[in-house]
Amino acid sequence: MIHKLIGGILYLSICSLAMAQNTFNLEGSVLDAASKKPVTGATVLGETRYAVSDEYGHFNFDELPEGVYEFKVAHMGFADQTFTVVVKPGLQRVMVYLETVSTALEAIELHGVSDRKESRTIPLVSESVNKDFLDKNRANSLMQTLEKIPGVSTINIGSGQSKPVIRGLGFNRVAVVQNGIKHEAQQWGSDHGLEIDQYGIEAIQIIKGPASLMYGSDAIAGVVNIKPSLIPQQNTFEGEVNLLGETNNDLLGVSAGLQSRKEHWYYRGRFTYRDYGDFKVPTDRINYENYIFELHDHNLRNTAGKEANASFNLGYVSDNFKSETSISNVNTKNGFFANAHGLEVRTSSIDYDRSNRDIDLPYHTVNHLKVTNSTTLITHGKTHVLHFDLGYQSNHREEHSEPVPHGYMPKPADSRERVFRKNTFSLNLNDKMSVLNRHELVAGFNLEYQHNDIDGWGFLIPAYQRFSVGGFAYDQVEVDQQLHLQAGIRYDLGIIHTEPYYDWFQSQINNEDGTTSRVYLQRSQDKRLNFGSFSGSLGIAYTLDDTNFKVNAGRSFRMPLANELASDGVNYHMYRYEKGNSELDAEASWQLDLEVDHIRDNYYLGVSPFINYFENYIYLNPTSDYYETLQIYEYTQSEVFRYGGELKAGIRFFERLQLDASGEYVYSRQTSGPKEGYTLPFSPPLSGRFSAAFQFDDTWFFKQPMLSMDYKIAAAQKEIIPPEEITDGYQVMNFSLNMKVGLLSGLPSMSIRFNINNILNTKYFNHTSFYRLIDVPEPGRNFSISINQSFNK
Amino acid sequence: MRNYKYIYMKRIQYFIVSIIGMMLLACSGDDSVIKDEEKPTISLNYIDGFPQTCSVLKRGSSYDFRALVTDNFELASYSIDIHHNFDHHTHDDQGVNCELEAVKTAVNPLIYMENYMIEGGVDEYEIIVTVEIPEDVDTGDYHCQYSVTDKTGWQGRTSIDIKIVE
Repeated sequence: MIHKLIGGILYLSICSLAMAQNTFNLEGSVLDAASKKPVTGATVLGETRYAVSDEYGHFNFDELPEGVYEFKVAHMGFADQTFTVVVKPGLQRVMVYLETVSTALEAIELHGVSDRKESRTIPLVSESVNKDFLDKNRANSLMQTLEKIPGVSTINIGSGQSKPVIRGLGFNRVAVVQNGIKHEAQQWGSDHGLEIDQYGIEAIQIIKGPASLMYGSDAIAGVVNIKPSLIPQQNTFEGEVNLLGETNNDLLGVSAGLQSRKEHWYYRGRFTYRDYGDFKVPTDRINYENYIFELHDHNLRNTAGKEANASFNLGYVSDNFKSETSISNVNTKNGFFANAHGLEVRTSSIDYDRSNRDIDLPYHTVNHLKVTNSTTLITHGKTHVLHFDLGYQSNHREEHSEPVPHGYMPKPADSRERVFRKNTFSLNLNDKMSVLNRHELVAGFNLEYQHNDIDGWGFLIPAYQRFSVGGFAYDQVEVDQQLHLQAGIRYDLGIIHTEPYYDWFQSQINNEDGTTSRVYLQRSQDKRLNFGSFSGSLGIAYTLDDTNFKVNAGRSFRMPLANELASDGVNYHMYRYEKGNSELDAEASWQLDLEVDHIRDNYYLGVSPFINYFENYIYLNPTSDYYETLQIYEYTQSEVFRYGGELKAGIRFFERLQLDASGEYVYSRQTSGPKEGYTLPFSPPLSGRFSAAFQFDDTWFFKQPMLSMDYKIAAAQKEIIPPEEITDGYQVMNFSLNMKVGLLSGLPSMSIRFNINNILNTKYFNHTSFYRLIDVPEPGRNFSISINQSFNK
Repeated sequence: MRNYKYIYMKRIQYFIVSIIGMMLLACSGDDSVIKDEEKPTISLNYIDGFPQTCSVLKRGSSYDFRALVTDNFELASYSIDIHHNFDHHTHDDQGVNCELEAVKTAVNPLIYMENYMIEGGVDEYEIIVTVEIPEDVDTGDYHCQYSVTDKTGWQGRTSIDIKIVE
């Protein structure tokens, strides 16, 4: 505040002076690198003078004589930036992009570079989002919040659960990393979401391309990297409470967080609870094949759910050492649409319509416990930065449905259809070495051990143990300030052991001699399989004034999963018989990425095309054969060729009106195998998003009121593969109003957000929704209000 | 300094332009293959179609199950599944409601699951399968489900509520 005042006075006093000869006026803007929003109150420090950025991020130095000047830009919560200006005729406006960073972290990485600079010097095509973006765009699940980023979409089930899809690929082809540890749940399943609390996340980096080099198997299509939260400032105590209410599914949510730091020790804690009812769809009935399901009051029956999450972090930080331990637990219970789950049509005597908040069968429960430690140590005169991540995760998922006889299976005794208990231990170690000034060499390894147990009367994937180890090294070379190269190589080794499984009931089989016998069929084999694969990447990043160019070529891999290798059972929900293939090779993918970004004071433009080739994409192929009257789907491998990319542009008028537009497209073709000529399942359609935001003046006690409209348009998806159906194009509009209100004295302003999603209550289908298969449209109109109050001491 | 930068810029521009060119070239080879995007269909809606909704089948008798299947491109296989519906777990898709008996527990229900091939890659086929209803199976509400696939892997399904009586 004082800075601002002094700055203002200084600004006025400078402005009031008459301009002398041979002096120049240096103007510039300070922007948040991630959000491109102005940073107010940043100090721009010269040798003898300083200025403070105003509410539009602008700063100004009058009457500068010709010469060379160096300035340092500082603002709390951002990394310091320095810039040099040659003051002479034709002087241009200076743009300074600040990247959010904790001051403690910054101290630790003294010799390093800021995130913003890093994103410009590393050739990987990535996007970063910060807390501001997450708060303003918060949707029902973390991945739905990120969907606004071009190239990112989701696979949804119901209103509260979704999984990331990057450029059309999802499930185990996108690695989700939190606190440096890969999130390990039951990623392959399409009927549950990501078990991560979406509150309390401060920064996310999304890599839109193969990144096995750094993240190992599964990062074949991209990475969602949830970065550790910033370390609190010294001697602070802060907290926030967030309340959320929604009308479409009658959601009530509360999340409260606390953080504090003395000198070296700090902690963070958070609790989140959400409870929601069935979501409403803009239709009275669902038509699925020849079945008609009448809906009560537009409620998609039994899609209610609840979520309770808690986390606690404890950390220590000093000049050369930082260590943070995190314990978090995510617990959810969600119902599934009662009339049909997957492709299976159900009737029941349960009175689903008596309440829209109860969770009846079928439903699932998930509990994900995660304990991680990240430690960074700077040694050898700051030439080595050692980093360890240690993690333990326990994922316990239970799928319950009404016991029903199927085929030779008699009626089971209880509702526990499938139970998975997956324990994962991870260890990452790497050393970042500064060599010869221009090189930054990173070498390390990742170890992971996984143990998956199964239970319940339904069989889908076998119990298995998996051990994997990978070693890598990459070098980042700064040729000069503008040109950076990165090259790296990695080798991974994986061992999967699948356990045998026999049905708990007898099936009738026809013998060769014409007789029949009843046997306990074996569904999975006792097998040990080994995989090994190289990955690597080579790229350049080049900055020319306001334009940044990136070219990156890489090879990534993915180890086959236990279900891909060893399934041999009936998936009743999908009405199919799934057959694994132990002959599968590790998937390998080659990708060439390009990115051009041009950012100026009031506009930006970006384009990021890619081409991609899979040597052996693993695909669950619907065959034309039957097993016990169910269609056989068999895991096969085929070559796949894909290309596509994203476009984005934005412009700001009069520092008030911000217009943004983006588009994304992916083309996929299987170029060999039984489905040659077909696309891949769940291919997102061509889509675009246009948004306009207008910043109003402060009125009454409303501060920074901002109104925004968002318009999404998606083309029809006519590229389909059995058993998908063509999905029509659609257009949806959303509205949002953000503002701050300073009502309570002694507390920071309260942030209030009011949203209307799907304003016109449009009935549309999302090609990448699990419920698309049974012709369930997307949620109808939703009003939501979110209130965020922070406090500090 | 400026010159140095200029040379770099030129080189990088050439590099990027040539990569975009390569990408366009790689992507321009369009596939003119006509893809099969149609599911086969099953019809019981003709005189010989059997069973019809609410058909009553007697124990100890045999019946010709008949359905017409059609597709735009090469039918491949079909299956017939008869299972009990004593617990009312599902209903048929024929648009007619059949009155169900009271819920009961299965003792020795009929389980009929057979798969067949359709030879010759035809686009039209009449399923004719003789099904014998054993003397000792439970009477009550049953379901009959026909499924058919084509060569591509598209599947059509339909199911009918039937009853088995003494």
